[in-house]
Amino acid sequence: MTVDAPEASDVQKRVDEAGASRSRPAGMNRRSLIKVGAGAAGGLGLFGPSALPLISRRSAAAQGDTLKFWQFYAPGGQVESQAAWFENTVAGWNEQNDKQVELVYVPNSDYMDGTKLPTAFASGQGPDLFIISPGDFLRYYNGGVLQDLTPFMEQEAIDDFFPDVLASRVVDDKVFGLPMEVEPMAMYYSLAAWEEAGLTDSDIPQTWEQLLEVGQRLTNDQRFGVLFETNPGYYQNFTWYPFMWQGGAEIQVPESNKSGMRDPGAVEALKFWQDAVNLGVSPRTVLGGGAWDVVPNLTTGYCAIQNVGIWAISALQENAPDFEYGIFKLPVPEGGQYSTDLGGWAFVANSQGQDPETAAQFVVWALGTMSEDSIQRGVDWCTKAKSDMAPRQSVQELATEQGGFDSGPLKQFAEEILPGGRGEPRVTPEIYKSISDAIQAAQLNGTDPEQAAEQAATEIEAFLATYTGAPIL
Amino acid sequence: MSVLSAGDAADGAAGRPRARATRRSHLSQTHREWLAAYLFLLPDVLGLLIFVGLPMVLALSLGFFDVSGFGTYTFAGLGNYRKMLADPLFLDSLQVTAKYVLVLVPGLYVSGLGLALLVKRPVRLIGLFRAMLFLPNVISLVVIGLLWKFLFVDRIGMVNVLLSKIGLGGLSWLGDPDLSLWALLGVTIWFLMGFYMLIFLAGLQEIPREYYDAARIDGAGPLRSFRDITLPLLKPTSFFVLLVSLVAAVAGPQGFDLVYVMTSGGPANSTNLMTYYIYQQAFLFSNFGYAAAMASFLVFVLLGLTGILFAVTRGGRFDFD
Repeated sequence: MTVDAPEASDVQKRVDEAGASRSRPAGMNRRSLIKVGAGAAGGLGLFGPSALPLISRRSAAAQGDTLKFWQFYAPGGQVESQAAWFENTVAGWNEQNDKQVELVYVPNSDYMDGTKLPTAFASGQGPDLFIISPGDFLRYYNGGVLQDLTPFMEQEAIDDFFPDVLASRVVDDKVFGLPMEVEPMAMYYSLAAWEEAGLTDSDIPQTWEQLLEVGQRLTNDQRFGVLFETNPGYYQNFTWYPFMWQGGAEIQVPESNKSGMRDPGAVEALKFWQDAVNLGVSPRTVLGGGAWDVVPNLTTGYCAIQNVGIWAISALQENAPDFEYGIFKLPVPEGGQYSTDLGGWAFVANSQGQDPETAAQFVVWALGTMSEDSIQRGVDWCTKAKSDMAPRQSVQELATEQGGFDSGPLKQFAEEILPGGRGEPRVTPEIYKSISDAIQAAQLNGTDPEQAAEQAATEIEAFLATYTGAPIL
Repeated sequence: MSVLSAGDAADGAAGRPRARATRRSHLSQTHREWLAAYLFLLPDVLGLLIFVGLPMVLALSLGFFDVSGFGTYTFAGLGNYRKMLADPLFLDSLQVTAKYVLVLVPGLYVSGLGLALLVKRPVRLIGLFRAMLFLPNVISLVVIGLLWKFLFVDRIGMVNVLLSKIGLGGLSWLGDPDLSLWALLGVTIWFLMGFYMLIFLAGLQEIPREYYDAARIDGAGPLRSFRDITLPLLKPTSFFVLLVSLVAAVAGPQGFDLVYVMTSGGPANSTNLMTYYIYQQAFLFSNFGYAAAMASFLVFVLLGLTGILFAVTRGGRFDFD
């Protein structure tokens, strides 16, 4: 065990305190519900309680001795080096520890908007370790299944994370997840399409209006000028937030139960995406898995400019190495202030798993100590396995020192696109849905943006009036 | 299973103790047959109770609880049902589902019967044509969804490329809320019509040829024969098709799978069928109790519709006289 962990007794005490502060809300447990259901069925004369063992919960401990780590970077996936990084990380832990960790691959579509994680947790069989995005943080935190990592971390390591990046994983100064990456959004464009339309570097759009103008020049009967996400989902919201922020709007007005969706910044952002579709510059449908998928959309010529995140660099490098492209930062509205969304996934430990403390130690060991190994692991993920920005100062410095951000698109991201970015908001599913409906209504249904925003604001405020979970950020 | 044996003579022949034969004799032949029947049925009944009955009762129970999705259950009484009636998205999805059912059921009936009439005659290669029409049914719904999603894509999708030849190429089949449900219905009918064609084909082949010959001699044309012979004699088949397609339209796997793959309920909730909305509430928002209440409501709606169908058609006999 090479983790510089605090004294065991201290750790136990802090863990106990953490557990006490995260006690579950009162209510009937699942076993009781099953009994009620079985009783009802028995009452109907269908069968007796003897059937209960058939449906009763299999304890997490019965799933085996290894800690199960669910994620979606499978061998044979889009980028081989990413799966290899996970394998190496787990192998490194397993060499040094008795308690072994085992990787479990879940297909991307099943993981992000699928049933795998929710059904596992609902049946009391959630994985010991898993990865989540900020968009899903509150769902799991409010569900009481995220283990407090703070007792296992040195303060120096906590301070090493960029505050804005860590914020969406912190509640009451306690850390419940460690980000492995920072993924800013930007605009990618095809150089061939650019040249074909007679555009030069001086035509790089700085404002929304310019983007639509350039988009019109790039649009023809086979190609769309600019591609934004059109599929409803967490990802579409994630890609829309920066445009809202640029006009000064917020999902929730700070220190209040008011929604900022009525603000002109949000209404204008909705109108911007609506205008792009109405002008014929943006498509109503996207190719591949969605607008996060750069290869089927940009390299095939379906669009000339695509709104996509930093991960597109490694995807293009791996799958379309000869494709020539450029990148520019998100344009802003007239008088607006630049912002981009800093997405990224985080390692978390299940507080209801078979061994939450060891799971938490694994997370901290992998991503959150000041040891050389831990920092180098962050560098390897962000600059070698993937193309990402670093979530920690030390990783950023070492990556820079090793030339990770010295040239090419990553340099552009580090110097131009990242500064001014904001961490991806954490919202509840109810708030996500209200915003998603507003985006969809304005973008694809022709609804007046003001009306769509008003509807979302009303729904969000009704929800916030009774919401008692961790703060929306 | 000696208890099922025929009687004393057989027992005596087998040399079994007299006492056992005497003990069995208080069961009459009828009772023994009943017992045998129930014993044969027992495994199936147990299987149904455990794997269908119990989950249904649990799901119904779940609808009366607030369920966090993380093991906490709080009794909510009729709260989830009240929430349902005040939820505009639920009411929207109900409306979308109603439209879907109202188009899909007649659509499958007409397309299935039409195709069956087309491929009824035993001409050369008819088996191949029938197989081709049935082929979509053997392909995974996910593959079907992905394929059509690609065919429907804006501008460069094959559907738009073909339609552009007649000046209709600029449509966004899956991106326009006015078209998306129709596109989904088109794919669903295309996928399912081969199955209903087979059902109708079996029904048509049951009708004796002599009836048509007699009608022709009496001067009846094809339309008259269809109206007065084919349709009346297809009543049991029609009932089966209507019943099965109704269940498929309300709660069939294609309603969820194709929406999941092709539209995710969008654009702007225009394809948000109830099955998909239930899925969203359960698995995306962790509102398992609310989702269970909606699922229970859907089951009762389906039971009601099936009951109406039984009543209107007199249990499939269509015997109104």
